Amino acid sequence: MDVVRTFGTIVSNTARTDADRARKLLLFGWKAQMLKLCAAPDKRLPKSRQYAAQVAMRKVLDVYADPSHAAAMSVFAPYEPLGAAGITPFSVEQISCWMAGSQAERFFLDAASDAGFTETMCSYHRTFLGACASGVLPRPAFAVYTSLACDGNLITFPWLGRTQDIPRFCIDVPYERSEQSVADVVAQLHGLVDFVGEQVGRPVSDEALRTTCERSWKSALAWRRFLAASPGRRLPADMTSEMYAFLMNHVVLGSPESERFCTMLADEMEGARRSEGLRIVWLHTMPFSQAPAIERLNFNDRVFITACDLASDPMLIDVDPADPYDAMARRLVYSCMNGPVQARIDRALDMVRRTQADGVIVFGHWGCKATLGASSLIAAGLEDAGVPCLALDGDGIDAVNRSDGQTATRLDAFIEQLEAGRRA
Amino acid sequence: MICTVCKYTPIELFAGFGEECSFLEEMPASLDRAEAASHANLCGFGKALIEEALSGQVEQMVLVNCCDVMRRCHDVVAAEAACDRLFLMDLPHTCGPCQVTSLARSLKQLRDEYREATGIEFDLKTCQAAFETREADPGTYVAILGARAGKQLEDAVRNAFGLAVRNLTCTGTRSLSMPGQALLTDDEDEFFEAYAQALLAQVPCMRMDDSVGRRALLEDPNLAGIVYHTMKFCDFYSVEYAEVASRAHVPVCKIESDFTAQSTEQLRTRVEAFAEALGFSDGLSGFAPSTSKETFGMTRETEAQGRYFAGIDSGSTSTDVVIVDGDGTIISTLIVPTGAGASKSSEACLASALEQAGLTREDLARVVTTGYGRAYIGEGDASVTEITCHAAGARHLDATVRTIIDIGGQDSKVISLDADGHVAKFVMNDKCAAGTGRFLEMMARALQISLDEMSETGLAWREDIAISSTCSVFAESEVVSLVAQNKDVDDIVHGLCESVAAKTSTLVKRAGGTGPYMMTGGVAANAGVVAAIERRLGQKLIVSDKAQLCGALGAALLARGNPS
Repeated sequence: MDVVRTFGTIVSNTARTDADRARKLLLFGWKAQMLKLCAAPDKRLPKSRQYAAQVAMRKVLDVYADPSHAAAMSVFAPYEPLGAAGITPFSVEQISCWMAGSQAERFFLDAASDAGFTETMCSYHRTFLGACASGVLPRPAFAVYTSLACDGNLITFPWLGRTQDIPRFCIDVPYERSEQSVADVVAQLHGLVDFVGEQVGRPVSDEALRTTCERSWKSALAWRRFLAASPGRRLPADMTSEMYAFLMNHVVLGSPESERFCTMLADEMEGARRSEGLRIVWLHTMPFSQAPAIERLNFNDRVFITACDLASDPMLIDVDPADPYDAMARRLVYSCMNGPVQARIDRALDMVRRTQADGVIVFGHWGCKATLGASSLIAAGLEDAGVPCLALDGDGIDAVNRSDGQTATRLDAFIEQLEAGRRA
Repeated sequence: MICTVCKYTPIELFAGFGEECSFLEEMPASLDRAEAASHANLCGFGKALIEEALSGQVEQMVLVNCCDVMRRCHDVVAAEAACDRLFLMDLPHTCGPCQVTSLARSLKQLRDEYREATGIEFDLKTCQAAFETREADPGTYVAILGARAGKQLEDAVRNAFGLAVRNLTCTGTRSLSMPGQALLTDDEDEFFEAYAQALLAQVPCMRMDDSVGRRALLEDPNLAGIVYHTMKFCDFYSVEYAEVASRAHVPVCKIESDFTAQSTEQLRTRVEAFAEALGFSDGLSGFAPSTSKETFGMTRETEAQGRYFAGIDSGSTSTDVVIVDGDGTIISTLIVPTGAGASKSSEACLASALEQAGLTREDLARVVTTGYGRAYIGEGDASVTEITCHAAGARHLDATVRTIIDIGGQDSKVISLDADGHVAKFVMNDKCAAGTGRFLEMMARALQISLDEMSETGLAWREDIAISSTCSVFAESEVVSLVAQNKDVDDIVHGLCESVAAKTSTLVKRAGGTGPYMMTGGVAANAGVVAAIERRLGQKLIVSDKAQLCGALGAALLARGNPS
């Protein structure tokens, strides 16, 4: 019997009639998963990635255990003001991944459709919205989001405000990558810090904010050390771990856990075994639950992912940690997801150079128009720079929008292409 | 002339340079070049914009940074160097003081960039003079709300209703309220701050943080009905439809397009059916919207005794003809493949049906056509949408029916009836073949079985296989891969039936359907699909032996009910 599938079916069937009970079931199942992650972690993973899995699970458990001290956030919103105020954040992508990991995503996707959300929308957001609409996701104290990167946020968070009366704060990130834009965002971040203080009933201390930002910077420096040690080496990983890194480097960036994770990861990479396998830079989210991608990219010395732009980009933007507002604003304005597509191409080339990658895969997640619309330009830009690139379409969550056969064929052909390139 | 996109475009700014702006509203015939340059999953408007730029006809384009698609359009058009001058104006998501200041700066930046690109000087007075307040025409009107509606859609609504139409989508609600002082000042900073404030104070579009101001659109006492348009791959409006449908004091009809001219036909069907249901029948040859059996009976006795009436349903797969007498008794029926031409098939089918009944064309008092080909059939005295015809036909077959599930070759529909048998609400699938007869036909071909075999095969399933892809193309490759895994054909067919049933039950929910349910259309002959839908609805479906003829029967009954 497939235990997870059975669990997902029970959660889904229960959620149809009793949201509270479904929530308790999820909490029970995830606690059991937490025990497993601590007592019997995946031994194929290095300690740093085992640790990230535990932290990510613990954060979700904290949200479910005490939602009144939790805030919903878009993944690019800065963690630091929340962390400094003692609030546990959770992101759209995080909740969706957990629902998918519990094999209950179909129910929540359908619940989002029933609430009126279109099936062409990003499935991370739809799963999250379905969890909200069905009442299975506990109501957070407030929400923080940015206009950066994804229209899904501009739909999701206003809807939360309209229908669930959740206080929210939005940071409008100007499209232009300029110092004037940084100043604009700094002004808004002061408003955010005041907003968070109002929500928790006490001002956010400057000292706590500065300490959190300093940890963000230390995490970034450790991440750079991890990437610098990467050429010629392989630290075993799977796509799920890469998604954990994405969460660690955004949703809790600045926490003690993120600093510890990045430091452990860098140390382990510096001592990792050498590998002659094909090295891939990955752009965008990952199809972590899709069989043909798992078979080819997880724990495979023949071909493996060296870096992903979602996890790496915030760690590669230079900031001054002594100036927390400027540092947070700079990470938003100079994010590779902001401005023209050339910023994304430049970041991909930067990661290729840092990790000595053989090629790039840009993953066109079904509902993400920002990436889908740019994928052919990214591929062309990289190929012009002599870097082979595969535009791979699929869906990180919703299996309806995947084709296993096509994914397998495209990945195999790209691997063959890269191997031929090595031989030439 | 500057090609631009939405009501947030500062068209008065360009007036200050002596330039006019025009909104792109033409729904193109093809999006091929745009899809090749970007991706198929961008919204139709974004692709239309790229298509327009790539046509080489646009010298100047001003885009607004309002969504992911607009940003990518800017990237693609810039990369293709498709326009001589291309600009992108930043638009905030929220409307606080920081955002007003930021937008004012964007406006000034746009002014400077345009001046630098063209060498033309900006004239503040001309710009200020360009602000105009437009008074809306008084009188009853139908509103188009939701995602941007192209010109063809606006025309279709106007023709169907015979009423004034207000396009209140992305371009139509543009109304700037500038303070008098800002229109007189020589201080450009003061002017641009007020300009930014006025742009952000408009009735918001759904990509803005606070959309409460949109409620005013529903409160006009002159509003007679709402055609709510959503566009494939534009995700902002679908959720508002649910809110509008529950809040509006007037009937609301949802339609979806991909912003191509090809989708016009399906849009026309839906809009006309909505107009019929509301009692607006301009353009439909004078038919009353009533579909009740009693109405037909009364008309028969008073005016049409002793004559015959025909209904022709010209569908994508088959053409169906039903001839009834003055009592509504079926005299002759015929189903033939539609083949290459709707008109030719209809003529041949009607002739055969008449011959079968021993009648001639002169014995027919009136012929009503329906279905996708209805507009192209010369035989008809009038045409009525298949929504109204199915309602009339189903009601005639079983007066208790409250919801009709019609799955044909090209589309699937759910029609909810009120207690009197009138169409209360209807929804249709989108342009994609998922959940239609065409989907099953493609899957049967992949399994190398006939549709008749498929109908019974799935009933003896053992393993519950989920076909996760509802896209016909993806599902076909999924089926091929299941065959390669030696999965039992019964189980695969069962999975396919469940997939169609899932899509159908979503439509039933959207239509607010309640039992008793009747299934019509060609797929009603598929026992596996019927059983799967019954499982999902928790009720038996009424499946008449005339299920496939329901549309043609309704058309014949409508012909009989309203002889001129």
